[in-house]
Amino acid sequence: MAGRRVALKAIDWVAFAERIPPNQKSMFNALKTRSDAISAKLTSLPETPAAIDWSYYKSAVAKAGMVDEFEKKFKALQIPEPVDTQTSTINAQEAEANKSASAYIEGSKARIVQYEKELDKFKNMIPFDQMTIEDLNNTFPETKLDKVKHPYWPHKPIAEL
Amino acid sequence: MNPKQLILASNIQTHLCLQRHLLVTFFKTGALLCSRDVSRGFLVYPPSLRLFAEGHAEAETRLPSGATTRHFHPSNMLSRLVLVSASSLKGSGALGAGLIQASRSLHTSSQSLAPVPPLPEKGGKVRHGIIPEELFQLLYPKTGVTGPYMLGVGLLTYILSKEIYVINHETFAAASIGAVFIYGVKKFGPSVAAFADKLNEDKVAKAQEVKDLAMTSLAQAIEDEKKEQWRAEGRSVLFDAKRNNVAMLLETNYRERLHMVTNEVKRRLDYQIALQNLHRQMEQEHMVSWVEKSVISSITPQQEKESIAKCITDLKALAKATQAKATA
Repeated sequence: MAGRRVALKAIDWVAFAERIPPNQKSMFNALKTRSDAISAKLTSLPETPAAIDWSYYKSAVAKAGMVDEFEKKFKALQIPEPVDTQTSTINAQEAEANKSASAYIEGSKARIVQYEKELDKFKNMIPFDQMTIEDLNNTFPETKLDKVKHPYWPHKPIAEL
Repeated sequence: MNPKQLILASNIQTHLCLQRHLLVTFFKTGALLCSRDVSRGFLVYPPSLRLFAEGHAEAETRLPSGATTRHFHPSNMLSRLVLVSASSLKGSGALGAGLIQASRSLHTSSQSLAPVPPLPEKGGKVRHGIIPEELFQLLYPKTGVTGPYMLGVGLLTYILSKEIYVINHETFAAASIGAVFIYGVKKFGPSVAAFADKLNEDKVAKAQEVKDLAMTSLAQAIEDEKKEQWRAEGRSVLFDAKRNNVAMLLETNYRERLHMVTNEVKRRLDYQIALQNLHRQMEQEHMVSWVEKSVISSITPQQEKESIAKCITDLKALAKATQAKATA
């Protein structure tokens, strides 16, 4: 009966719950209930089973040697620890998630840079009542009238007027 | 080409030269009367129109050199088309003012300013709707307040008396048209100006709205991205939870195995003990019943009769004893 204990990391469920996006809340709830069930089951079992009173049995059982034999075998018994098959997959999952998360964060940072650039453009824009048409076309390229494609006024399809 | 035609041509030229001056002032004053929006460059009057008005100022400085040409400028045609008011002859002194106003954007420097500085909110000040204030300021030091008026009256008198301007049927036509025009402008001018202003305001407001919306949505998008990054940071907790779960399951399994082993061993030992007990119990019972049976079978009938008689005498004695105790 070798007692071994892998240190369980304390998990702050409250902080974890704050971070999850709303579309994954159901998954989080499922995980939490599962984890709670498992930990409840664990705590319900005592760590070591009740010890067997060998002396009583030795005195009670008439058959000679049986109790001794049992005792010897029992003490020599090594219960194999269950094999851990999942931790490696979990670690692999974690590595993959880290990779995708860092890629996402990179993309997010690039998006933030782009947004900041556009925001600066808006902030540093000259006010509308001091713009000319050229300034307007420079600031908002989509307002530029294509005079080559539509050479005649109003330089855009009638439907877009 | 005889001299008469020449004189006629030159007369027409100078007449048209005057008309061109009047065109400039007409444009400016008309613009100033009808709309206050001289400053909103791109909205009512695009820069091209501004330059057109200004370009005319250049044209009039250029023209005196070409006054002897006999063929007509295209701008002459235009001025003839547009100009109908002989009444604005009175404002011939507006020539100087037109030039003064044009000086702001006469591209005197080689490089144009960028961004374009905003146009003034209001046009130049005018008196009586046509005559620029600068004329009055110009003449004030020499002739005081009534100077320009005297100039105007004098000029008018001169023109009429010398028949430089001949009163004919068209004079009355022009006067009536002028009256109606002035009445119309005075009555409907402000509302038309307000309407035009409102159009521009709407355009600017729409553009401003678009800009504000864009800015708020961008700021919101930045906030959301940051929040998502924060969220993504918490991913390690998930895997910790999973590993914890796995560890707990393993531990549970192990303990269950321990318990199972102990319980099984105990059960077997208890079984042995129970078996032993059962054995002994059965032996005991069997022995007891055998003893009883043998005893019962060993009782002879004689013994039985004697034992029954003895029992009866004992009972009688006992009854007598209890009776005596009861009466005592």
